[in-house]
Amino acid sequence: MDHPSITVAISGRYPLDRAGLAALVASLPGLRVVPPESSPPPRVLLWECGEKLSADLPRSLPGMAILLIVGEIESPILPPGVAGLFSKDEKPEALGVAIRQVARGEQYLSPSLALALLARGEAEAAPHDFDMSILTDRERQILALLGEGLSNKAIAARLYLSVRTVEGHLANLYTRLRVHSRTEAALVAIRHGLASKVR
Amino acid sequence: MNTSRHTRLAVLGTLSDLHRQPIAYDLNCLRALVADLAPDLLCAEITREAWEGGNLSTAALEVREALAPVVAATDIVLVPVLPTSKQYADFTPATGWHRDLVRTFDRLLQWGQRAADRPEAVNGALFGAFCHTLCALTELMWTAEDRAAWEAQNRALAENIVQAVRRDIGRRVLVAVQCQRKHWLDARLRREADVELVDYWEL
Repeated sequence: MDHPSITVAISGRYPLDRAGLAALVASLPGLRVVPPESSPPPRVLLWECGEKLSADLPRSLPGMAILLIVGEIESPILPPGVAGLFSKDEKPEALGVAIRQVARGEQYLSPSLALALLARGEAEAAPHDFDMSILTDRERQILALLGEGLSNKAIAARLYLSVRTVEGHLANLYTRLRVHSRTEAALVAIRHGLASKVR
Repeated sequence: MNTSRHTRLAVLGTLSDLHRQPIAYDLNCLRALVADLAPDLLCAEITREAWEGGNLSTAALEVREALAPVVAATDIVLVPVLPTSKQYADFTPATGWHRDLVRTFDRLLQWGQRAADRPEAVNGALFGAFCHTLCALTELMWTAEDRAAWEAQNRALAENIVQAVRRDIGRRVLVAVQCQRKHWLDARLRREADVELVDYWEL
C-alpha cells in the first residue's frame, strides 16, 4: 500500500516564494520536499522564475524534471530542458497534479498558458493534412479537450477515465497524428475545429 | 487502451453523516489512507450534478473535507456515483414502537461510531458485524416503501459503479461509501465477472 513519495526541490530568486512553495508542496499528498543539491537528485525541481523565462534557468540533470512557476509571460513556450510551466493563476492544489505529470515524463502547461499559446494564431501554422477519420471517437474527444488547454488530469476528470488511460490515448494520438508534443497535437485540434465541439 | 481485462476494486466503508453524528475519527486518517492507496478511480457518494457543478454543500462531510481535497491534489479521478442525495437517515419510521426501536438502534450505532475512531476500525470485522446487524434491523423497521427506495438507491449506485468500471477496464478502483452500504455492495459487485473484489488494503 505504501507508494514512494515524489521528491521535489524548490528553487528561485526570493526566499519568501521558496518558503511558500515548500510549505504548499509539503502539504500535498505523496510529495516530499528535499534540498536542490540532494543526492540522488530530486525527481522534480520547482523553479520560481518571475517574468522572464530565459533568466537564470537551472541546469537539467538526468532523471530530474524542471517545472517553472510563472506569472504572466509573453511567450508560453517551454525553454529547452524544461518539462512544464505552471501558472500562478492556477489553484494551489493543482500544483500536485502538475508535479506528478512532469515526474512521469509528460509535459505540463497550465490551461491559461496553453490557451494563450493557442490564441496567438499559431494554429494557422499547424500542419493540417490529417485524416481525422483514422481516430476513434474517444481519441477525438481527448484531442478536443487537449485543444482546450486541459491537463491530462483535467481531461481524465472530465471523461471519468483514469489519468493512465488518457495518457495511453495521447500516446496513440501522437503516433497517429505524427506529432511530437501535446502543443502540436493541441494545434491540430484547433486547426480542425475540434476544440469547440466539446463545449 | 488497457490490456488488463480485470478491475481490482475495493469498497471502503466510511461513517459519513450517518445518523447526524459528528464523525469521531480524524479525517486526516481518511485523507492519508486514500492518498496512499492512490486508486486510479475513486467512486464517491456525490451526485453527478453536484460534483460537476462544484456544489459540495449537499455532499457528506467526508466527501467535502477529505476525498475532494485529495482528488484535487493528486492523479485520482473522482467518479460521482450517488443517484440521489437522499441519505440513510432520511428513511425513518414516523411513529409508533418502530420509531422507538430505531432510536434505540441509533443510539447503539452512535456509540459504535464513537468507538470506531479510524477508517481501519470502521472497515474491521468487529465494527462491520455490529454495524451491519443494527443497520439490517433498522431497515426492517422502515416502511416497505422506504425499504424499496433504499434498495433502489443501492441498485442505481451499484450500476453507476459498474459503468465506471466498464468505461475503463483494468484499473484500480476504490469505492468510498457510507458503511451501511458496504455489505450490500460487496455482495452485488462480487457477481461482476470482470471485477476482482479485494479488501482496501490489498488494492
